[in-house]
Amino acid sequence: MTLIADRPGPGAARPYRFPQVVRRTVAGGQVVAAHLPGQNLAVALLLLDAGAGREPVGSEGLGGVLAKALEEGTVERDATAYALAIEALGTELVTGLDWDTFQASVQVPVDRLGAAVELLAEAVRTPKLDPEDVRRVRDDEATALRMDWANPGPRADAVLRADLFGVDNRWGRPMYGTPDSVAALDAEDVTVFHSEWFIRPGALVVAGDLDRIDLDALAAAAFAGTVGGPVDRGAPIEVPLHANRRIILVDRPGSVQSTLRLGHPAPHRAHPDYVPIALAGTVLGGAFTSRLNHLIREVRGYTYGIRGDFASSRRFGRFAVSSGVQTAVTAPALVEAVGEIARTQAGGVTEDELAVARSWRAGQLSVELQSPRAIAGALTTLVVHDLPDDYHARLRESLLAADVAQVSAAAAAHLHPESLTLVVEGDAALIRDDLAATDLGELVDHTP
Amino acid sequence: MPDSGYPWPISMTRLDNGLRVVVSEDRTAPAVAVNLWYDVGSRHEPAGQTGFAHLFEHLMFEGSMNVAKTEHMKLVQGAGGSLNATTNPDRTNYFETVPAEHLELALWLEADRMGGLVPALTQETLDNQRDVVKNERRQRYENVPYGDAWLRLLPLLYPPGHPYHHATIGSMADLNAADLATFQAFHQTYYAPNNAVLTVVGDTSVDEVVALAEKYFGAIPARAEIPPAPDGRVVPSTGVPATETVVADVPAPRVYVAHRTHPFGSPGYDVVTVLAAVLGSGRGSRLYQRLADGERIAQPDLVGAYGVDLAHAPAPLIATVTARPGVSGQRLAAGLAEVVDELVTVPVTAAELDRAKALLTTAWWRQMSTVDGRADALGRYATQFGDPATVADRLPAWLAVTADQIAEAAAEVLAADDRVTLIYHPEEKP
Repeated sequence: MTLIADRPGPGAARPYRFPQVVRRTVAGGQVVAAHLPGQNLAVALLLLDAGAGREPVGSEGLGGVLAKALEEGTVERDATAYALAIEALGTELVTGLDWDTFQASVQVPVDRLGAAVELLAEAVRTPKLDPEDVRRVRDDEATALRMDWANPGPRADAVLRADLFGVDNRWGRPMYGTPDSVAALDAEDVTVFHSEWFIRPGALVVAGDLDRIDLDALAAAAFAGTVGGPVDRGAPIEVPLHANRRIILVDRPGSVQSTLRLGHPAPHRAHPDYVPIALAGTVLGGAFTSRLNHLIREVRGYTYGIRGDFASSRRFGRFAVSSGVQTAVTAPALVEAVGEIARTQAGGVTEDELAVARSWRAGQLSVELQSPRAIAGALTTLVVHDLPDDYHARLRESLLAADVAQVSAAAAAHLHPESLTLVVEGDAALIRDDLAATDLGELVDHTP
Repeated sequence: MPDSGYPWPISMTRLDNGLRVVVSEDRTAPAVAVNLWYDVGSRHEPAGQTGFAHLFEHLMFEGSMNVAKTEHMKLVQGAGGSLNATTNPDRTNYFETVPAEHLELALWLEADRMGGLVPALTQETLDNQRDVVKNERRQRYENVPYGDAWLRLLPLLYPPGHPYHHATIGSMADLNAADLATFQAFHQTYYAPNNAVLTVVGDTSVDEVVALAEKYFGAIPARAEIPPAPDGRVVPSTGVPATETVVADVPAPRVYVAHRTHPFGSPGYDVVTVLAAVLGSGRGSRLYQRLADGERIAQPDLVGAYGVDLAHAPAPLIATVTARPGVSGQRLAAGLAEVVDELVTVPVTAAELDRAKALLTTAWWRQMSTVDGRADALGRYATQFGDPATVADRLPAWLAVTADQIAEAAAEVLAADDRVTLIYHPEEKP
């Protein structure tokens, strides 16, 4: 036999290292930087407390429109001159939005970082926001959302979110808004949102070779002309669970797959069970080897992939499972997915499964945190959730120390199979009868 | 101008069975990337067997002689690693990044499926993964607007019989017809050490990797004759533009323009790479400035141009724009054609050239910023050009491209009488 049959064990473990973190306060703003010696590329990211959670109900999508409007010219130069200036450095202005923050970043060879941060600040702090440009950007954003909503998924996501959190709340509506909510925005609302949230200093996150970076100069550029300070972030929101499980059917005629979105509310980010909850989610739906992917993809062949996880922001969280399954097997796939969730809630996890989940999550802290972009993301977590410099090392220890009893208890406490909302987006004429015939719960047709 | 796009050490060793082992040591982080390039892709598939190379890739995760079904993923993820594989027309690559102490496990797993897949391959596994791949086809190509654009462009660009004529995902009919014996033969034909490059980058040394490679792969026999794919290097110009119009359930008209250019790795393709960035990367690009901003007929987020980095035949350059509300597909197509044609008549300025090169420079260092990005690049250069060290030449070659070369390349490969155009129109809604 030519192959070696015995599986090798691990070699000597290397000590875990997160890059050295440097923090400074400059001109009222915070700088949080990671030192990546020898790295040619650097990332700078300006983090503002201006996430979707700051948008008023009825103005969903304000942040997304403002993000695009930042590049339509500044008090210094017009849109074309701005694009040519920043792209000549090798970067675009990358903007991002989540429930807690607005982010604008640049990624360049390290010797160009100073110039890139100056341009980043110019767009974020002093955009022109000409009303005519803002209206055009708004219309383009509404069109872009319409394009996106032609894909399977966004409608199902919106229906799930509304059912979980209540459509009367901002967090019960899509993070980027809907095509209609964006189309209805007023140019002046965008300007007001900017003046309210975009000239507070915020935090500047930097990942790169700090021997070649002048942090004080970057901070001076990022925080120049800013006014105001932090604003109360609000307490975690109590979201009630539904008394009964139900199916909501979203019609997509002609669909060759059904899009599944299953979920219920879950704890916010600072909940003390954060680590066991994450591990329970990993065993159930987080890794390729998860219970859901094993059964629905590898055993049944119903899908290209299925995943489930707990996700959380500062004020709320949710458990959700998502997949696309072949139309003909929609009902059995749904029944079996709910069955795995219920089984995990009732019976917890095994040591064998947990061993994979904890090593995987811990190992990912070495394997996935390599590039400046990934390190900047890790620093962002520190800032948004007020975590210490050694957070990632401590997280690693907590992951590796979690035992079956803790993780099973988290699954028992935080999974709620009887309260799930089961959104199915597919060809209703072909799947309605099968779904109604399951005993999963009441079947409701979504009416747009 | 940097004199190297790869400022790390590179070594290549050839084992007696022909396996090339490429190592690049970097002790910055306690992780190693392991990457295998097999020199087999969908270009090797005969008629009636489209999609087989990719379906085969799935089977490589389903167990081998000493690895039980589902154990491969479990062992790598249980070691803290990330893993995946991809298939394209040129090649199939398998890769995992693991904490450095698990390097030996990763090499054992890769050797076991290189040398011992066939005894573990069952009809049940084939049937299951065939269903998974058919679901992949539905999810990526059939159930999304414009999802089949790539499937439509390839046969317009490459004639029947050409190795790039069909798409890697294959046809449903061929996937349904796939039988076990064909896959057993596929492995025996192509998954040989002398048809592969093993690359390891990260927290390890040349000596350690070569010794482990010898230990785990050394006894896998070479295969004497590995049949080449059909030769596709010469694709005669038709002299006739090819246009396909599709009426489908799409939210707006969209146009793709595509041309055959030069093979990836050639000087001509370096020029095309810079040309594509001038044409379609970023808000300063010609397409954005002319069609999204200037005439405002294109949606700003959906403007782009890129080369598809294929090495065994003239690689495609693709440009695409999507209509703003109220703009017809015809008007959009005319606007796109005009901007592409102007690459011949309106010289590229120094500012345009610098902008394109700056964006490409960042993209290059972004790939090089992770051990897995570097491992895949080294595997590519070793497989396709015989020497991993040539990876260092790509970035300097891009930076040396001149405006005159771009104008010459545009005149040579972007001729309107050899153009492929694909236009999507939304269905008329009642």
